[in-house]
Amino acid sequence: MPDRIITLCYRKVIGASSVQPWEKLVFEDTYQEFRLQAQLYNPEHRYRTFAELVQQAPGADQLPFLVSAAARGYLQQLRGLVPDVVNNLGKHFLKFSQFQFEIITSDLQDKARHQVAISFYSEPLRWHDTVGSLLLVSEAAGPAATEEVLTNMISLQPYLSIHSLHQLA
Amino acid sequence: MERKIFLKSLFIGAVSAPAVLAACGKESDAVTPSTTDTTGGTTGGTTSCAVAPTETEGPFPTKVPASYVRSDITDGRAGYKMTATITITNTNNGCAALAGALVDIWHCDAEGNYSEYGGSGMQSVNYTGVHFLRGRQTTDSNGQVTFTSIFPGWYSGRATHMHVHVYAANGTSLKVTQIAFPEGAGSAVAAVNGYKKGLTGYTANATDNVFRDGVTQELATVTGNLTDGFQLAISFGVAA
Repeated sequence: MPDRIITLCYRKVIGASSVQPWEKLVFEDTYQEFRLQAQLYNPEHRYRTFAELVQQAPGADQLPFLVSAAARGYLQQLRGLVPDVVNNLGKHFLKFSQFQFEIITSDLQDKARHQVAISFYSEPLRWHDTVGSLLLVSEAAGPAATEEVLTNMISLQPYLSIHSLHQLA
Repeated sequence: MERKIFLKSLFIGAVSAPAVLAACGKESDAVTPSTTDTTGGTTGGTTSCAVAPTETEGPFPTKVPASYVRSDITDGRAGYKMTATITITNTNNGCAALAGALVDIWHCDAEGNYSEYGGSGMQSVNYTGVHFLRGRQTTDSNGQVTFTSIFPGWYSGRATHMHVHVYAANGTSLKVTQIAFPEGAGSAVAAVNGYKKGLTGYTANATDNVFRDGVTQELATVTGNLTDGFQLAISFGVAA
């Protein structure tokens, strides 16, 4: 199989039932920021949910961007490594610098209904081969495959997907 | 040829009607593979069957304020330096200084663009610098906040302006407003001259949709020059 350059996307959904400390902080702070920023589009308190705001209030589609500022500091705490996704040795290895923040649902009066997602887009990987259900990959920024390269083996799992593909000639 | 098509149609019929085959004991072997496939698919479908993280815990997350909370909101945007001092007073308390209020500001860059994204679902951004020219500060005992930024550019249809959102300490919105800039000969707007754009097609305060009803409450004092930068000062009264 000729090498291919891929990027992976891991979409991490965070809600009231999230248990990790990092997730809880993101949950709390993005809810607070949502309540702050939503007032910009809701001066008469006519809307209660994120869905209502986006559908009824002009400009409210900016809310995910505005609320994402509350998550940014927590992204920096990850030190450039995608959370949760580990290689077959059980170690985090997937580097990222690109992300996307979404508000899935939220309710100005019911925190339990607040749910957000952060998609992490990995740095480019060279996909050498597939061994069983594991992808054999190395960092695309590393040396060409004609030399010895350090590799990682990773299994595709829920919420982890190949986001882009570039077939090398 | 016709026979081939007939056989093919038989085959399609067989695949799409496994129940019929299953009902016939003699053919049950032919169905088994498909049953096995389904089972195999279910087992393989437990794709969460991946190695769990096994490494030293950490880094330990600590609470961080939203990235808006900062005094310097420049984030590398080029332009003439501008220091903005905003004073918040309480109209319910004889216009005394309001301490502890949150003040958000945001404005466009030299080209007239805001930091923002939205719409297209596949768009991702680098997490450094994505919220440029947006900031939040808490008023001090004098009701003041100070931001370091650049002099805003302009875009079609609007006079030079900055957005301000004032919240009470508990987060309740108190005021959403905009800051207008003095214009004409000797003004900072004239000195900056729209950066590379010039001021052709510029919307003056008098014809601006937001400011044309009068800018007495919203007009800032702007001093300074291109070399040393500009100082903007304004005071807003809010009912807190």
